[in-house]
Amino acid sequence: MNANLQYPRFEKSLYDLIKGLRGHKGVENEYIQNSLRECKAEIKTQDMDKKATALLKLIYLEMFGYDMSWASFHVLEVMSSAKYLQKRVGYLGAVQSFRPDTEVLMLATNLLKKDIVTSSIPNMSLPLITLPHIITPSLAMSLLPDLLSRLSHSSPVVRKKTIVCLYRLALVFPEALKLAWPKIKDHLMDDQEDGSVTTAAINVVCELGWRRPHDFLPLAPRFFELLVDSGNNWMAIKIIKLFATLTPLEPRLTRKLLRPLTNIIQTTSAMSLLYECINGIIQGGILDGEENLQERDEVATLCVGKLRGMIVMDSDPNLKYVALLALNRIVATHPTLVSMQQDVIMDCLDDADVSIRLQALELAVGMVNSDSLQLVVNRLLDQLQQAAAPAAELIDTPESPKAPTLWPNDYQTEVVHRILDLCSQKNYSEIVDFEWYVAVLVQLVGLLPPSESEDDWGHPKEQDAIPSSRMNAALRIGSEIRNVAVRVKGVRMEATRAAESLMFVDNRSTFFPSGSTIGDGVLGPVAWVVGEYAEYLLSPNRTLLSLIDMSNASLPPRTLPLFLQAIPKVFVQVSQTSQPGDLWKSEMSLLLARIVEFLEALAAHPDLDVQERAIEFLEVLRLAAEALTSNTQEIPFLLASVIPNLFKGLELNPVATNAQRKVVLPDSLCLEEAFNHDLPGLFRSLDSLSLHESKSWEASDFYHLPELSSPNKQTRDLAPVDLQAPASYQNFTGAPVEPSTAVQRRMLERRERFKDDPFYIAPPGESSGTSTPFHEALNTSNGEVLDIDSIPIVDLKLGDEQLSHVDFDRQKSRRRPVSKLVVAADETFETQNSLTDNSRPKGAGDDHPTYKRSLLQVDSSSLGNLSLAKGPSPQLGADDGDMEMARAMQQVEEVRLRMQRASERIQLEGTPAEGTLVKKKKKTKKHVASDRDVGPMVEDTTEPAIEKKKKRKKKTLESEKLSGEN
Amino acid sequence: MINAVLVFNNNGQPRLTKFYTQLDTQTQQSLIAQIYRLVAQRPASACNFLPLPPLLSQGASSSASGPSDTPTQITYRTYATLSFIMISTSTESPLALIDLIQVFVEALDRMFENVCELDLIFGYETLHAVLGEMIVGGVVVETHIDKIIAGVRAQEGSLGKKKAVQAASTSLGRGALPGLGAWR
Repeated sequence: MNANLQYPRFEKSLYDLIKGLRGHKGVENEYIQNSLRECKAEIKTQDMDKKATALLKLIYLEMFGYDMSWASFHVLEVMSSAKYLQKRVGYLGAVQSFRPDTEVLMLATNLLKKDIVTSSIPNMSLPLITLPHIITPSLAMSLLPDLLSRLSHSSPVVRKKTIVCLYRLALVFPEALKLAWPKIKDHLMDDQEDGSVTTAAINVVCELGWRRPHDFLPLAPRFFELLVDSGNNWMAIKIIKLFATLTPLEPRLTRKLLRPLTNIIQTTSAMSLLYECINGIIQGGILDGEENLQERDEVATLCVGKLRGMIVMDSDPNLKYVALLALNRIVATHPTLVSMQQDVIMDCLDDADVSIRLQALELAVGMVNSDSLQLVVNRLLDQLQQAAAPAAELIDTPESPKAPTLWPNDYQTEVVHRILDLCSQKNYSEIVDFEWYVAVLVQLVGLLPPSESEDDWGHPKEQDAIPSSRMNAALRIGSEIRNVAVRVKGVRMEATRAAESLMFVDNRSTFFPSGSTIGDGVLGPVAWVVGEYAEYLLSPNRTLLSLIDMSNASLPPRTLPLFLQAIPKVFVQVSQTSQPGDLWKSEMSLLLARIVEFLEALAAHPDLDVQERAIEFLEVLRLAAEALTSNTQEIPFLLASVIPNLFKGLELNPVATNAQRKVVLPDSLCLEEAFNHDLPGLFRSLDSLSLHESKSWEASDFYHLPELSSPNKQTRDLAPVDLQAPASYQNFTGAPVEPSTAVQRRMLERRERFKDDPFYIAPPGESSGTSTPFHEALNTSNGEVLDIDSIPIVDLKLGDEQLSHVDFDRQKSRRRPVSKLVVAADETFETQNSLTDNSRPKGAGDDHPTYKRSLLQVDSSSLGNLSLAKGPSPQLGADDGDMEMARAMQQVEEVRLRMQRASERIQLEGTPAEGTLVKKKKKTKKHVASDRDVGPMVEDTTEPAIEKKKKRKKKTLESEKLSGEN
Repeated sequence: MINAVLVFNNNGQPRLTKFYTQLDTQTQQSLIAQIYRLVAQRPASACNFLPLPPLLSQGASSSASGPSDTPTQITYRTYATLSFIMISTSTESPLALIDLIQVFVEALDRMFENVCELDLIFGYETLHAVLGEMIVGGVVVETHIDKIIAGVRAQEGSLGKKKAVQAASTSLGRGALPGLGAWR
């Protein structure tokens, strides 16, 4: 076979390998393992042909994920082959397989040097295209002079590749740019230069530009010239991108650019150029300026008009997508202009392509004002309704772009999220009609896609748009209902009634189809609302019965506490609405019996929080039931005053999520100090303590005495050792045991201690009578509602609480008057909590290759602090450059030495670095000597050292030229 | 800049992987798999831009509109059985990248004369050589097809891998990539 001519026949060529792979379908892994073994043997032979073939096979297999890092030394061997095609395989191997930890790279310096200065252009190209992948600071250091000389090579192919290669060099070794930039600039300014080289230079400048826009400002006239005259669209796009970063610095550029850019926009036929012009105008802030109002508006109108054209006329989805992308950027500054395009954007909401839909959705969020909000939301609701209706029948049909009903659930969830974003943005300032919003929320509950899988990234769109902290949609709807109820007093009744309707057991089957988890999310906040605002309930009785429905017991532990808190609140409401009397009494007794039944079921709940709350209320309500059995006619005090007072007090206001963090800690509070330094010892000694001589530590008795196994203590059983009397959460033993006198005494003391603790509820049997300690405890704590709610809305009693109203300070003056309903804003403190700025601290000298923040990211931050000598002046101080070089050289040698030592496994600690310097490059002994001289003297910047250095460099260059010509 | 160029077929088998940063093989593979999953679920009529896969969206701040080092754009184009993917930062123009992929494919088409997937499998080295003439270190150096072809020809001379490809194609059959040239 012809293919094998250049390779020996006995071994498999790449062709054979691939053919073999195709022939071993199903058992490929075995075949590959065999091949890898063969390659391992072949690559070790002396025969360069065999070696190269084996390497090529390894590179091919690497593409499928088979590691070849072990072969890095052989890669070097093949790289040094005299035959071009073999050399190319070697270099390809280096590109594909070298990683930051590949150590053999140090050995390649001389080979690379030689190949860079070779006479054959293809040979020369190999290191030029390979270096960007493998470059390290030390390598950059030693190859820089050779690369710089390539900038003046006669072939444009070499020049353009060298320019780009130098850019990548500069990323790891910023000093390189200082030396290279004047030359690159010369190429850029040269009118006679080959077009490809100019384009490559522009591409590099475009990459550098946004890091150091100031340095490139002086070149603006040349860029301008190239933009207008070159006629090369690829380059024009890049220049426009570059100008977008320059215009914010130089407002005068704006005026200059406006005309040519509008000219291009009006005349060009290349959509990519047109788009980049518009994009450049947006990103360059040309639309944001202060003066020249009319002209700017004209441009803005032109841009938006063109974008509209891209969306409407072309059926090309790409244009649609990028146009929406651009509109998304304009919308921040020109919302009115964008909302004029509402019609086309709305059409995109129904586009067949998910990407386009999502972009349009995002745009909708930015675009809406109070006028269009209802329109947009209603449209989205329609979409969801369409999706919900036939989805059930069509589930098995394959997805086709024509059927929008088959959009994945994730998309529908995303729409729900966006609707909520739309409505809740700027603290609900865009909503005129809150009753409508409440109705929308209720509707949304029914439209939620049945099963949302938040952790499965089946549809990636979502992952993109949703930050990880985003709540699940159902919970979010519930929270919205709660937010509206808390914040907007005007519709509190409507919101509560809506919550009520969601709460009713008989409605649940319609809202929450069986088997879905939607209810779990919605019901929690909804339960809180019906409890907190029970006075607005249409039918408290029915709500209460829904709350204590036995089916609720299966709700998740996260939701149940909210139910538990709501039950007594609604019960109080029920007890107060009907007329007292015999009938009332029997009704209440009946209700209480049902509540107690429900609570008893939860008193053995596996979740501690649920269990504790259930038991606390269980005991209180049992007392209430007991009080009802007395023969007196009036309402028992417990029901008339004590229990209602538990939940009455100051109104809860929304508090900013970060307000808690701003509360200044009292000086006396020490959070680091351990309560007891010998905690393990205490636990150990517990076993030896007998029951009655436990004066030393009463609390231990409290936790461990068996007769105290009343339910709410069980939950606090924290000792890990005491397992002989297991307090099972399942085998809960009904009523609490009557405490013994000794225990009672302790409990009294304890109660004294915990008097102010709102979470402590007095034990039963003690709280009869008018003035119980329990009641006192309540009254002494400022008569306020003690926060028993686990709702994330915290009542911070800090004196200065006031209901701050929404400040309608919008970015742009909109004529809409303050809506009739007042929306409460988050309460917070005015502490200037200066955020730590994210500026990356990085010294110019000590940047070892830092690890990427994002995958694939090429870190160019080191260029940020590199000054191109105050603007790209061509006359770089030669001395400066040399000094930098010398300093860098010293650093590099140190790094090199360190790596070398590590690789040779020799411990040379304590030896001065300069003294043991071993040079890999064996130019002449003299150079090494001079280097030694230079090393320590660099700091003093004495003249002779620098001169020597210069000489040395010249010599190196000469000798390299010679060797290159050989 | 361009952070990576990938080519894989309809089954997700890689045909070309070129990462302009050093990345360990395992991560490369999972990234390819994630992007393949994204591409595979898109209908033909959809636009040529992908959302960021989980591996890339971690470090990306999508809201930042200005340029940064973070790759934020994934452009892809599918020709017959092959998908060409370019991952890039925002300094590249999305529409220009689509054109660039087109240039790449047209150059391959010129190199292999009616290119098909098999050509790229067997002409593995040439595939890399063509890309090397177009993109160096993540920066585009050439978009002119003639110059790209000239550069590759200068490397491979008259010999090249063409023979191997022809030999392969006679035994395994070939079909050109349809849709080529229909665009633009």
